[in-house]
Parts: sequence; structure tokens; C-alpha cells
Amino acid sequence: MVFAFKDVSKNRGEKTVLRGVSFETPESGVFMIVGPSGSGKSTLLRLFNRLDEPDRGTILYRGRDIRSINPRRLRREVGIVFQTPAPLPGTVEENIGFGPKQLGNDVDVAGLLRQVGLSVDFAGVMADELSVGEAQRMMIARALALRPSVLLLDEPTSALDPASVRAIETLVHNLVRKDEILIVFVSHLTEQVRRIGGEGILIDSGRVIYRDGADKLADMLERIGG
Amino acid sequence: MLDIALSSVLIAVAIILSTVLQMGLRKSLLIGMVRSFVQLIAVGYIIHFIFQLEGIVYQILLLVAMSVVASFTAHRQVGGIRGVFIITWVSIIAGSILTLGFLIAFGVIDTTPRYFIPFGGMIIGNTMNSIIIALERLISQTRDRRHIVESALSLGASPRRAIHHLLKSAVRASLIPRINMLKIAGIIQLPGAFMGMLIAGASPIEAAKLQIIVMYMIVGCVSISIMVLSFLMPRFLFNKNEQLVFTEEKNILKL
Ligand SMILES: Nc1ncnc2c1ncn2[C@@H]1O[C@H](COP(=O)(O)OP(=O)(O)OP(=O)(O)O)[C@@H](O)[C@H]1O
Ligand SMILES: [Mg+2]
Repeated sequence: MVFAFKDVSKNRGEKTVLRGVSFETPESGVFMIVGPSGSGKSTLLRLFNRLDEPDRGTILYRGRDIRSINPRRLRREVGIVFQTPAPLPGTVEENIGFGPKQLGNDVDVAGLLRQVGLSVDFAGVMADELSVGEAQRMMIARALALRPSVLLLDEPTSALDPASVRAIETLVHNLVRKDEILIVFVSHLTEQVRRIGGEGILIDSGRVIYRDGADKLADMLERIGG
Repeated sequence: MLDIALSSVLIAVAIILSTVLQMGLRKSLLIGMVRSFVQLIAVGYIIHFIFQLEGIVYQILLLVAMSVVASFTAHRQVGGIRGVFIITWVSIIAGSILTLGFLIAFGVIDTTPRYFIPFGGMIIGNTMNSIIIALERLISQTRDRRHIVESALSLGASPRRAIHHLLKSAVRASLIPRINMLKIAGIIQLPGAFMGMLIAGASPIEAAKLQIIVMYMIVGCVSISIMVLSFLMPRFLFNKNEQLVFTEEKNILKL
């Protein structure tokens, strides 16, 4: 397994948002985190690359407590894409090159754009001029530029039109087919959970209430009214 | 005293107008009138007292006290993140020591109280205002664009790198009014030091020269302080795990 969460709890203000969460992810493929709105999915995802610290419990990455790993190194191996695009000032090319540049490395911008289904002509465009769908694909390319071994996607399609949703879902399938990568995919949409597939967990009010394959998770999500 | 009483009639007119026109400013005007009277008279006596004292130590103590009050004002106005007081204070002190020290070292101004205190007061007050603008801008932008900062962190950027573009815009927002002040100096209005010199009987040329020194000094001190501030800020916006931190709400008295 790549990640193991052991009895992890997290408070936000006065509120306990995650309660004793435990699970393990597979080596590669898709791991789904499914749950209704407000159940704690985003809060949970932010713990994977240490944007936040749990209040209780342990998180292991490849067998090591993530507290013993330099946060910058961890974040380079564990990429994240948020619900809405977060472009940095500058062009698409500068955005995609941002991560590798911190290490003094070059990056194959054209190859990455192709991989996420964007025309190479976008390279010189200012990132904040992209449509939301294009920007979200750029965000994925930007995360992939660091060749992460884990990619965290927090409802990456929630702001997108149906065509862009399909494009991103196809991209996820292509990524896990081709590369040795683990994709942690957060969703609250039953249909999407079925389309993406894989295995995962269902969380509700900050508790893991179910672990299974995607179809079963979708059924359960439907039942609790997500 | 009679002069003051007579000039207070002008505020009284403003209060009457505000009441008649129902502007809701009567109380503010009254408080402002009384406060400015009490504060300025008190300052007058304090400075009068300091002028009597021999030795630069007392002047320095007064400036340190001013910088503490300025930092506390910034802390109270901005709030929301830890360390505002200390960041502001260090920045003001760094800027003041460098600018005043330089001007004194080269004999541009001397250390008699009649120069030292007003010059020191002017740079501390101006620097405080610019620091408040920079801090407010930086904190509100970091809140609004939290996910952009965190997405940069997620790409393996250092906290300093992740916040760079927001720091830059905060620094610019606080310095641009100062630069504009230089550009329009003497055109739109005559600045304070210039007028003070004229009233005190100096020649207009002398007044202009002093005003130029004052402005260069203020812009120099503000710039140095803001740069120091921007250097220190990342330490306070992020924790040792390179996570963005804000105290959940304004906690005014927690220094
Ligand atoms: N800064 C905060 N302070 C207090 N409560 C918070 C804070 N951030 C989130 N919460 C609460 O924590 C709970 C979980 O939030 P989270 O964003 O993790 O849910 P989610 O499952 O990602 O929901 P969604 O599907 O709507 O994105 C919610 O009830 C939310 O109101
Ligand atoms: Mg969420």
C-alpha cells in the first residue's frame, strides 16, 4: 500500500470533521473517496500531502510516518488538484513548468498538454484566460509535470461542463492504465463513481462507514442520500 | 488659549451643519475635537519636557516608545495572524535606524531634539501607515487566494516562493502612494514641513530644501521597513511544516 491512515481525527474550529478514520490505499490504480457534501472528503484529502496536520492518529506513506518526511519532498511525490482551478500568475507554460523549475529541471510542456488533451498552442496563453475546463486540465498537467507517484483529485470535475467532465474521466483512466500511479479521486456523484471505478471508501459525517468496489460504494452513497 | 477657543467655533459650525443636515457626524466631530485637543496639548508638554532633558538617550527612548505605540496600533488594526506586533516593530526600527543613522552620520540633520524628535515622529508615523496597508492587503489576499498559495506549496514550492506574488502586490500597494507623493510634491498641496518652515519665518527656498529631505527620508524609511516586513512575513504566515496558518479569528490582545 502507498498510504495507510490509522485512527486519524481532525478538528476544524470547534467542530470534529474527521473521527477515527482508518484505511489503506492500493499500490496503484484508482482509490475513491466518496461521500455526501460536507462529509469531510476535502479535509481528508489535504492530509495526504500535508497541507494540514491531523489532530490525532498516524499517516504512513510507503511505511514511513509522514511527519518524518520533508513536506516539500512529500508534496512533489503526492500531487493535488483542487475542486476549482488555481492558476498561478503567468502563462500555461510557466504554470506547468513551476514545479520542476523549483528543482532546476526542464519540462516537456508540449507532451504534457497533449497528455491532458489540450492543444500545444495553449502554451503561451495566460493561464487566467483559459476556460474553467481548460484550466482544470492545465492543473492536472501541472501536477503531472513533477511525475508524482500519487495524484489527489478533489472533485476535479465539479465546475465543468459534461464534455470536459468526460475528458477528465478518460484522462484518469488513461493515466492509471499507462503509468504506475495511484489516483485518489474524491467524488460525491454516484454516476461518476461508477464510471471511474476502482475501489475506495465511503465517508459520512467524518467516519469511514464502508470500504468496497466503486459500484457498491455508489449504491451505498445513493442509499444514504448523497 | 483664546485663539484655540475661537478656532473651535469652526468645528462648532461643522457640528451644527451636521445636525441640521442629519449627517450623523455630530458625535464623531465632538470626540475628534476633544481628542485632538487633549492629545496635541499633552504631546506639546511631553516634548517640551524632553527638550529640557540633556542627552540623546531620552530622545531615543521617546522614539522607541513611539515605535511601540505604532506597532501596537498596527497589531490592533490588522489582527488575525500572530506576530503582527513584532514584525511591525522590527521593520520600523530597522528602517528608522538606517535612515536616521545615515542622515545623522553625514550631518544632514543633527541630534538636537528640535530635529530628532519631529523627524523621528514623521518617519515612524508614515512607516506605520504603510505597514498597515501592506499587512491588510497581504492578509486579505492570502485569505482570498488561499488555494493558489496552497497549490504552489503542493508543487514543492517553499513558503516564500508560494507567497511571492502576493507579497509583491502588497509591497507595491503600500509604496505606490509614497511614490505618487514624491511625484506631486508641491503641486496639489504644500506639505507639512514646508508650511511649518514658512510660518516659522524661514525663506521659501530653505523650506523647500527641508521638505525634500523630509520626503526622501520618509520614502527611504518606508521602503526599507516594507522590505524588511516582506522578508519576515513568510515566517508568520506558515508553520514549520510549511502549512498556511491563520488564527481562526481576530485575537486582539494575544501578542
Ligand atoms: N475552516 C473551517 N472551520 C469550521 N468548519 C469547517 C471549516 N472547513 C470545513 N469545515 C466543515 O467541515 C466539514 C467537512 O468539510 P469538507 O470540506 O471536508 O467536506 P467535503 O466532504 O469536501 O464537502 P464537499 O463535497 O461539499 O466539498 C463541513 O461540515 C464543513 O462545514
Ligand atoms: Mg470538498
